[in-house]
Amino acid sequence: MMAQTDKITGVLGRGPAFWAVMVFLSTALVLTLAFTEAVENYATLMLLTAIPCALAMVMFRAGYKSADVQDNGCAPGGEAQKRYIKRTAISTSLYLITFAVLMLAEREWDVSRQVLMVLSVLPGLGIVGVFWAIARLIVEETDEFMRMLVVRQALIASSFALSLASVWGFMESADVVPHIDAYYWAVAFFIGLIIGAVVNRIEHGTWGAV
Amino acid sequence: MLCNGGRSLKNRLKVLRAERDWSQADLAERLGVSRQSVNAIEKGRYDPSLPLAFTISEVFELPIEAIFSRD
Repeated sequence: MMAQTDKITGVLGRGPAFWAVMVFLSTALVLTLAFTEAVENYATLMLLTAIPCALAMVMFRAGYKSADVQDNGCAPGGEAQKRYIKRTAISTSLYLITFAVLMLAEREWDVSRQVLMVLSVLPGLGIVGVFWAIARLIVEETDEFMRMLVVRQALIASSFALSLASVWGFMESADVVPHIDAYYWAVAFFIGLIIGAVVNRIEHGTWGAV
Repeated sequence: MLCNGGRSLKNRLKVLRAERDWSQADLAERLGVSRQSVNAIEKGRYDPSLPLAFTISEVFELPIEAIFSRD
């Protein structure tokens, strides 16, 4: 029998799922502080936003380390996985930085309309980078079962986001629901990826790769 | 369970693996796939492609029909 790998994965002994929960909780905390106006100072809120951002980077690092180990029980490994995590981390960082710059430009700085137009394109391109990373993962994944799980996840996420957008769009035009900014459909897609992972787990016994 | 033309596939992966005293991870390494893939194939949750079925057949040194059969 081959020797089993006893590598310690994750960061501080915790895997990517733990850090994802930490990102979610810290984001919820910052949003609560903002919406309840417990913290009104804009600069302080921006500084607090650095906490979930830093935790997101730790989450990506934990995911990357887990991908180094082929048989870690829950997360799949492989080179395609590592490249996907690296690309997602870079795209997410670009999104966070450009979003912060856009917010500051909108509220604090006096910039021209042309500059604002350029700055407003950048965060969206960061999100496009995440979609591109998913597409590359589908192309580069050599494990056919894991590739199928990613495709299923992406299909479920697309169906979820587009269905929600279609229904909401007609309701919005009938004036029965409030307006939602279009970038929230990307958020719906990412929620759809989580639903896809749960469906994969139920039907195929593993969460998938995204 | 996945179906092929309405008929699902059975396989002897678990038995063949046990005969050789291989873990799922051992077989996965020999096949160049993840342990999750081996687990899914063994449990009939996923039917492998023809190229992967040929690789499985080579690893066990048995013809494909000695490993996979129709239900």
